[in-house]
Amino acid sequence: MLGYIVRRLMSAFLVVVLTSMFVFLLFFKGPSNPAEPLCNLNGKCTPEKLAILTEQLGYNDSVVHQYGIYVGGFFHDRTISFGPKYHCDAPCLGISFRTRNEVTSELVEKFPATLSIAVGGASIYLTLGVLLGTLAARRRGTLLDRSLVTFSVTVSAVPYYVIALMVWIYVSLQWKLIEDTSYHPITSDPLHWATGLALPWAVIGLTSSTAYARYSRGQMIETLGEDYVRTAVAKGVSERGVVIRHALRAAIVPIITIFGLDFAFLLTGTIFTEVIFQIDGVGKWAIQALRSPVDFPVVSATVLFGAVIIVLANLIVDLLYAVIDPRVRLA
Amino acid sequence: MTLDRGEMIEQESVLGHDPSLEDQPEAAKEIAGKSPTQIALSRLRKDKVATLCIAVIVLLVLVAVLAPVITRIFGVYWNVSDPKAPNTTDVLAFDGYPKVGPPFNSFTWDHPLGVAPRLGYDNLAYLVYGLRTSLIVCVAATVISTIIGVVLGLMAGFSRGWVDRVISFITDLLLAFPFLLAMLALSPIITSRFSTDQDKLRIATITSLITILIIFGWMGLARLIRGQVLSLREREFILAAEVIGVPTRQILFKELLPNLIAPIVISISLGLPGFVAAEAGLSFLGLGISGYPSLGKMVSDAAPYYADYGLYLWLPVGAIALLTLSLNLLGDSVRDAFDPRTRR
Repeated sequence: MLGYIVRRLMSAFLVVVLTSMFVFLLFFKGPSNPAEPLCNLNGKCTPEKLAILTEQLGYNDSVVHQYGIYVGGFFHDRTISFGPKYHCDAPCLGISFRTRNEVTSELVEKFPATLSIAVGGASIYLTLGVLLGTLAARRRGTLLDRSLVTFSVTVSAVPYYVIALMVWIYVSLQWKLIEDTSYHPITSDPLHWATGLALPWAVIGLTSSTAYARYSRGQMIETLGEDYVRTAVAKGVSERGVVIRHALRAAIVPIITIFGLDFAFLLTGTIFTEVIFQIDGVGKWAIQALRSPVDFPVVSATVLFGAVIIVLANLIVDLLYAVIDPRVRLA
Repeated sequence: MTLDRGEMIEQESVLGHDPSLEDQPEAAKEIAGKSPTQIALSRLRKDKVATLCIAVIVLLVLVAVLAPVITRIFGVYWNVSDPKAPNTTDVLAFDGYPKVGPPFNSFTWDHPLGVAPRLGYDNLAYLVYGLRTSLIVCVAATVISTIIGVVLGLMAGFSRGWVDRVISFITDLLLAFPFLLAMLALSPIITSRFSTDQDKLRIATITSLITILIIFGWMGLARLIRGQVLSLREREFILAAEVIGVPTRQILFKELLPNLIAPIVISISLGLPGFVAAEAGLSFLGLGISGYPSLGKMVSDAAPYYADYGLYLWLPVGAIALLTLSLNLLGDSVRDAFDPRTRR
């Protein structure tokens, strides 16, 4: 077990290092001149101004040297100068071209909104999905089961953003049922936090629960056919007891695995949610940074951040899976 | 070939050519078993949902293929910089809303589905060309990613040792990353690199979009194929082929591949709607293609006009929903038809 954890940690670390190199190469060597958007930001970009900025930002140095400085910024403070000098505390991801703030502190500021959307949406769709799936499996073949399956197939066949956009436009803007969709920190006002995010949560919950409903329905039908379930029924355990204590516990393991992998996607997938519902999170921030002139430090930071989150989520799922499911043996 | 007869019939008919049956009398033909593909096709033919979906898809494909003809018949243009297109000042009023057609004027044959406010392109022309882009992107991405997935899956499954380990590592790594992140990273780079040349930018964005979709689209199939090959390679017909010295390439593509038709067909039919949704979604965020019409971009253009110009918004939304819905439902039907466990 310990050996497995060490090996898994090492491979996760390797992936993070590779991703940081990839992001660095892409953003610092990919554009014809990464200093150009900065140069275009304040008035006319003259060749002299561009040359000064390129030199100041260190783009004339070798790639290895630049990467060293970039990675060094994660561990100790850096001073970045373009025009005026900016102090950047560790972990430093650069200075935003547009707002001239530290990218790290802006990221820390935007992340709670994204996390709130993801956590709230995920808890709704997980509960709803497993609940509906179990219900459909118990009433297999009935009208309820069939209409649930049809509904879930139809909803998951249409792209998420189409549904989200239509809900936003009609429910929020046109009919003004829930007008306020915005993020308020949970620490300052928990009620406002919940009401502000209720609509995005509901949309994520309803659209994503369909896949989980179908999946847990299949799992439940399978486990309900197992011998030990029949044994439990035979010895007189109540139906509720059989379904919850015996079947659901066995059926939920693969669902949890899928959920863990999904959660990472959900975090990055909130881009659509944030852009559509106008919530100030990491996703909307990244999309706004793309507007010309591109805010390269912000975009590169979000990409690196997203990648690290995904690696971490996978790591946690892999380790948890070994704990939850006794059948998984790791040598 | 060293296959037993039943296997051969199965494989040959899968490939659509059945020489073993041609020179036999009628009676023998009747008792010859149906191949899984034939069973699946006959099931699909009886499936009402699948038939309806195929009809819708054929219609949409026809509209996309005939886009130049349709636009010429109506005399409409998606590109306002087209020399023959009407001047934007002729079709748009000062407030940005169209002077002709919906929402405030009566229907006109000059612009059957209206004109886009502020941007001044014709909705019908943009819609049919956007459909064309969607279909081109999804077909290209599906075909190439299927080929890559099949080849890598076969290689990983059949070769024991480091080839398998390398391919499996890359598969797992890429499976963990969403393409959205990759597109977010790549899109500003491409825009800044080709910002001076519109023609090059347009080619670069569409190629990079298709490339990203391919890079992030092959792993599921590769994994599936690898799993199938792992079990198939222990079967007698493969072992026999190896023993008599059939070259590896021939074993892979002549012996193994025909047995993998079902997962490949299923993955193609479920992959298509995914790529359509991905392309439109990226364009909606402004990460997709620029310079070509796209349904996703039309949605993001139209979203602000939801209140007084609902038609403009519902056109692309309806097109995306119809296309993905019919492709997805067809994919589900195809999967059910190929699944030996489902009985009808």
